[in-house]
Amino acid sequence: MQIKNKFWISFGILVIGIVLSFWTYFSTSFTSKPIGVITDSQIKDELINKTEDNYQNKDQIRNQVLHVKVLSGKHRNRTYRIDNNYSPSQAMTQKYYPHERVILSFVGQRAKLMSPKRDWVVVLGITLVLCLLVAITGRHAIMLTLSMVLNAIIFYFVIKLDIAENGTKIFLIYGSAVIIFTLLSLVIVQGFHQKMWVTLIATLLGVFVSFGICYAIMRLTGESGIKYEAVDYATQDPRALFLAQTLLGVLGAVMDEATDIVSSLYVLCQHKKNLTFKSLFNSGRTLGQEIMGPLINVLVLIFMAEALPMTILYLRDNNTLVYTFQFALSLGVIQSLISAIGIVLTVIFATLASSIFLKHPISVKEAK
Amino acid sequence: MSTLSALLLLLFVLMLLVGGKTGFKSYLSVIINASLIILVALLISWGANIIGVALIFIPLKLLTIIFLGTHDYVVAKNSFLSALVVSLIVILLIIAIQFFAQTAGFGDQAGEELVGLSLQAGISFPQISIVVAIFSTLGAIAEASVAMSAGLLELKHHDPQISRDQLLKHGNLIGSDILGTAMNTILFGFFGSFLPLFIWYMRLHYSLFEVLNDKLFVGECLIIVYSFIGILLTIPFTTVLLTNSLSKENKK
Repeated sequence: MQIKNKFWISFGILVIGIVLSFWTYFSTSFTSKPIGVITDSQIKDELINKTEDNYQNKDQIRNQVLHVKVLSGKHRNRTYRIDNNYSPSQAMTQKYYPHERVILSFVGQRAKLMSPKRDWVVVLGITLVLCLLVAITGRHAIMLTLSMVLNAIIFYFVIKLDIAENGTKIFLIYGSAVIIFTLLSLVIVQGFHQKMWVTLIATLLGVFVSFGICYAIMRLTGESGIKYEAVDYATQDPRALFLAQTLLGVLGAVMDEATDIVSSLYVLCQHKKNLTFKSLFNSGRTLGQEIMGPLINVLVLIFMAEALPMTILYLRDNNTLVYTFQFALSLGVIQSLISAIGIVLTVIFATLASSIFLKHPISVKEAK
Repeated sequence: MSTLSALLLLLFVLMLLVGGKTGFKSYLSVIINASLIILVALLISWGANIIGVALIFIPLKLLTIIFLGTHDYVVAKNSFLSALVVSLIVILLIIAIQFFAQTAGFGDQAGEELVGLSLQAGISFPQISIVVAIFSTLGAIAEASVAMSAGLLELKHHDPQISRDQLLKHGNLIGSDILGTAMNTILFGFFGSFLPLFIWYMRLHYSLFEVLNDKLFVGECLIIVYSFIGILLTIPFTTVLLTNSLSKENKK
C-alpha cells in the first residue's frame, strides 16, 4: 500500500467515524427507551446535607434541579423537571452536565433519570483506534481487525454455551475455546505455515501445562486463602468462573510470547544452516529472559488496576490492609501469578518446539 | 501453606531457573510493581491528592517495568523515554474521554459486593477512574516500547552499516508484528477479567443499546481503546527516537 493512500484511507475512516459518532449521539431510534436532553445552560445545584459516615469520611449530598426535554417515545416533546441527588465522590451516584443527553424511564407520569447516554463515546473510541491502526500498519490493519472481530464473535458463542450449560463443564468449554482462539488468531496473522504450527504447539503447551500445574498446586494447598465469594458479578458458581477467567488471561500473554520467540528463532534457523540444538536453546532463553518481565507486568497491571476502586473503598472504610487484600485484591494477584508461571514456562516450550526447524529444514517451497 | 505463597514460590524458582540473574531482576520488578499499586491504594485512601499520586507513580512504574525488566541499558533508556512521551499523550486523551464517558464509580451490578461499605467516602471516584485507566495502559505501553527497541537494536548489531531509512522501514515491519501479538495479550486479558460481566449481560438479556450505555461496559471498553492507542503510538515514537539517537552516535 502506498504511504499516501494509507493516510487518505485513515483520514476517511476518521471522517466516517466522527459522522457515525455524531449520529449515535443524536439518534433516538436504537431503543424503545425514552431519550432526553437537559435543557438548562446552568444547572441549579444546592447542598442538601453534609454527611459523615462511621469512619469519619466527610462527604456531601447535593441536589441538581434539571429540566429535561423528552426526544422520543410516548412523552415526546414534553419537558419534565427532575431532581437528581448526588455526592461529589460519585461512587454510585451521577452528576449531570448542562445539555447532556440522558436515558429516561417513566413511572406513571413521573420521569426518572437512568444514566447519561454513553454509546457515542464507544463509537468515537473505536474510530480513533481504527484510524491509527491504518495510519501506522497499512495493509496489516485488515488482518488485525478481522482477527479481533472473529475472536469477539467466538467469545459471544462461548458465553452462550456457558449459559446453556449453566456454568458446568468449564474445563471442556473454555479449554476448547482456548484451542479455537489460538488456531484462529495464528492462522489469520501467519497463514498455514510450518512456523504457525510450531507456535500453536508452544502456545497450547504453555497454557495447558502451566494451568495444570497451578491447578494441582491449588488442590494440594486446599485452595486455602482463595476467597471465591469475592468474584465480582458472579451469576454462577464463582470457582468455575474464576478458573475460566484465569484460562483466558493466560492465553493472550502466552500466545504473544510464543509468537515472538518462535518467529525470531525461525529467522535464525534460516540464516544459519548449521545451528546446533544447544545454541538454538540458548538464543531462545536469552530472548525469553528479555521479554518475560515486561509481559508479566502487563497482566499484573490489567488485573490489579481493575481492582483499585474497590480496594480504595475497603481501605477508606477502615478495613485492615490484610482484610482488604483478601477480598479486593487476592483473586487478581492469583490470576496474575498463574499467568506469570505460564509466561515463564512458555520460554521453554517455545524453544523446544522450535527445534523442529532443525530436524526438518525449511524446504524451498515453504520458505516462500 | 496458602495457595498464594505456594504460587509465589513456584514463580520465583521458575524465573530463577529460566532467567538466571535477569529472571531474578524481573521477579523483583513484578513484586515491586504490584506493591506500588497497593501503595497507591493506601495513599489515596489516606486522602492524598489523587492527581499528585498519579504524577509521581507513573514514571516510577515505567522505571521499574523497563529498567528492572531488561538488562540492556540502551534498550532501557530509549524505551523509557518513548514510553513516557506516549503515556503523556494517552493521559491527555484519557482525561478528555473520561469526562464525556462518565464511567466513574461502581456499576448497578455491584450491589452485593458493596453491602456493608459506606459509599459516602469523600474521595473523587471520577479522578480514581482516570488513575485506573492510566495504570491499565502503562504496562502495554512499556512492553511495546521494550520489544520495539530490542528488535531495532538487534538489527543494528547484525548490520552496523544499516542506513537510517532502512532502519525506519524495518521499524514498521517489526512494529506490525509486535502490534499483532500485543493486541492479543490485551484482548484476551480483558476477555478474562470481563467474563463474569458478559455472562451477566447475557443472562439478563441486555439489549445492545443497554450494553453500549452500561457504565461498566463502557469503562472497560475504553480501557482497551486507550491500551491499543498507547501501543499504536509507541511504535512510530520508539522507531524515530532510536534511529535519531543511533545516527547521532554514528556521526561521532
